[in-house]
Amino acid sequence: MKDAAPLRDPAPVADPAPIIDAVGIDKFYESFQALYDVSLQVMDGEFVALVGPSGCGKTTLLKILAGFEQPTRGTLEIGGASVVGLPPSQRPTRMVFQKLALFPHKTVQANIAFPLKLAKVDASEQDARVAEMMQMMHLPADYAARYPAQLSGGEQQRVALARSMISKPSVLLLDEPLSALDVKLKKVLQTEIKHLHRTIGTSFVHVTHDLEEAMMLADRICVMRKGRILQSGSPSDIYYRPVDAFVAGFIGETNLIPVQMDGARFDSSAIACAVPTLDEAQFSPGHAGTTGLMMIRPELIAMHLSAPESAPNISPEEAGSSCVMQGTVEEFFIKGASIQYRVTVDGLRTPMIVDVLGTAIPPADVAQKVWLSFGRRDLYLLGEG
Amino acid sequence: MRITAKTWRDPSLWLATLPLAAIMAFFFLIPLGMTALLSFQGTEYYRLVWTWSSDTWVDVFTHWHYWSILIRTLTMALICVALCILISLPVAYAMVHRLKSLENHITILIVFAFLTDAVLKTFGWVLFLDRTGVMNGALHALGLGAEATDILFTQAATMLGMVYNLLPYTIFCIYLSMQRIDRDLMLAAYDAGASRFRTFWEVTLPLARPGILAGAILVFVLALGVFLEPKVMGGGTSPMAAELIRQTFETRVNWPLGAALTLVVITIGTATLALAGAVAARAMRAAPARQEDTQ
Repeated sequence: MKDAAPLRDPAPVADPAPIIDAVGIDKFYESFQALYDVSLQVMDGEFVALVGPSGCGKTTLLKILAGFEQPTRGTLEIGGASVVGLPPSQRPTRMVFQKLALFPHKTVQANIAFPLKLAKVDASEQDARVAEMMQMMHLPADYAARYPAQLSGGEQQRVALARSMISKPSVLLLDEPLSALDVKLKKVLQTEIKHLHRTIGTSFVHVTHDLEEAMMLADRICVMRKGRILQSGSPSDIYYRPVDAFVAGFIGETNLIPVQMDGARFDSSAIACAVPTLDEAQFSPGHAGTTGLMMIRPELIAMHLSAPESAPNISPEEAGSSCVMQGTVEEFFIKGASIQYRVTVDGLRTPMIVDVLGTAIPPADVAQKVWLSFGRRDLYLLGEG
Repeated sequence: MRITAKTWRDPSLWLATLPLAAIMAFFFLIPLGMTALLSFQGTEYYRLVWTWSSDTWVDVFTHWHYWSILIRTLTMALICVALCILISLPVAYAMVHRLKSLENHITILIVFAFLTDAVLKTFGWVLFLDRTGVMNGALHALGLGAEATDILFTQAATMLGMVYNLLPYTIFCIYLSMQRIDRDLMLAAYDAGASRFRTFWEVTLPLARPGILAGAILVFVLALGVFLEPKVMGGGTSPMAAELIRQTFETRVNWPLGAALTLVVITIGTATLALAGAVAARAMRAAPARQEDTQ
């Protein structure tokens, strides 16, 4: 990118064309196929997270967006023009590297100003913009003369972000930049990245294997596995309406109960439901056939120490369609705000996981008999993955 | 695991270095002192005379002939260092980044060339460059004049031999130093908009500086003392310091003068190393504790 000014016309666009439009991308490394027919659209100003286990192709996809790798097949447009074959320097994207890749022999000032120096921006303007960027990233002004090795991990992180943002790219690509930080610092920087995204309005594509991080930051999450995008949707879509058991299991703990299906009616030896039918919206797109996995999130389950006819936390209209299971507490873990119970239920191979707010009920003890209840509408049916 | 920096206050460190220190003192410092003593003696009818005089030193400082050879030696050594580094930079870069799959093969080839005896290699060059040798035969067959390519027994041939024999030192030093550079740094430079050349200039070259410096010092010290190449390939027409000292000891049998010239060469070498050390120390201070916490 030759000039630091925004590449796109700031005039309002009636038809919101995506800033990144990747269609049908295949990537081969010799005979190994890393990406299978991947399509990804990122809107202007959108925060997209690519999530998946290691080796799922998320970093490969990011490198293709950045220009470090070229797709074997497929089209890729960034900012309305094809960028296939263009090197990273000629794309309106900037990357934040996993290991930050700050130049150890350059000062903080020289690191942040590097893209401006390459774009031949005046020295005085370079200084002004670096100062402004450092202030925005909460870096003290006297850090400018320091070298990266003299900064803490979090400060280095901010310098890396500042260097990537200084030339105002249309898209910021983040390759797991927070993975090396400790939990507390990670939280701080997640908040800052979210705030930064809100402030500058650039599109972010963030690669991470940490689903919690993706949920916190992104407007949209793409879950990847084995070179394919399995599901792309809002955090709550991904969380409550996963497309299959892999996505459901990848994102937080969940309960998957095998059930027999007869049309909309489900049947399970473990669940007793007043009205055992599902609405159309409760079927995942991936479901087909007469068997399935019924998903219920741990925090949507209520736990009772006595039979739940008298349970107070089920509303009258839900009562007619509530479901009940009976089981025995196998183990419990105190997680701070909530207590997690693992309850063995007859007819289920794996114990049910139940998250109960710490003070909601008196803690049940191990081996105690309990009743679990949940609303029929909180169920979601997945195909057997 | 953290490796703590040891200080000289640690007595075990003194003990550990004692054997080496003793060997160095016995076989290096004492002979050096004896050489210094020798330079203050005189000769009469090719025999060493035990006197105390500074005649030899007056001789050294008043004869331009010696200094012209010393200056030639220094110039040749510096040109050799420059050529070695200029040739090694692209070679090392290619080994690290372009020929990744051939890296080990190239390393083995260079090690073989390096371990082959220098005398053999140098005489090989003589055969190759000889008027009736392979190169001139090939050039003649191509219809190019033999006169223009007749470089054997010139200073150019000496330089060719020096660069050829000393090149592995710079290649390996720079190669090892470039190999340690995190590849992401180069990607980050490309991403920021730098061309390949700019990336090399802004990232690779500064970070390879320790290797360049180490290679330069090695080649410089060795080039100051080359003996074989000026004699065999240069044909002895323009001798260098080592040849001058040999002649002074053996042909002229003037041991005090030889000792004095030896000391001058050692002084020039040491002064250059000290200068390089000071430059390196300043560069280190400018960029402290680099890459301390990567990995």
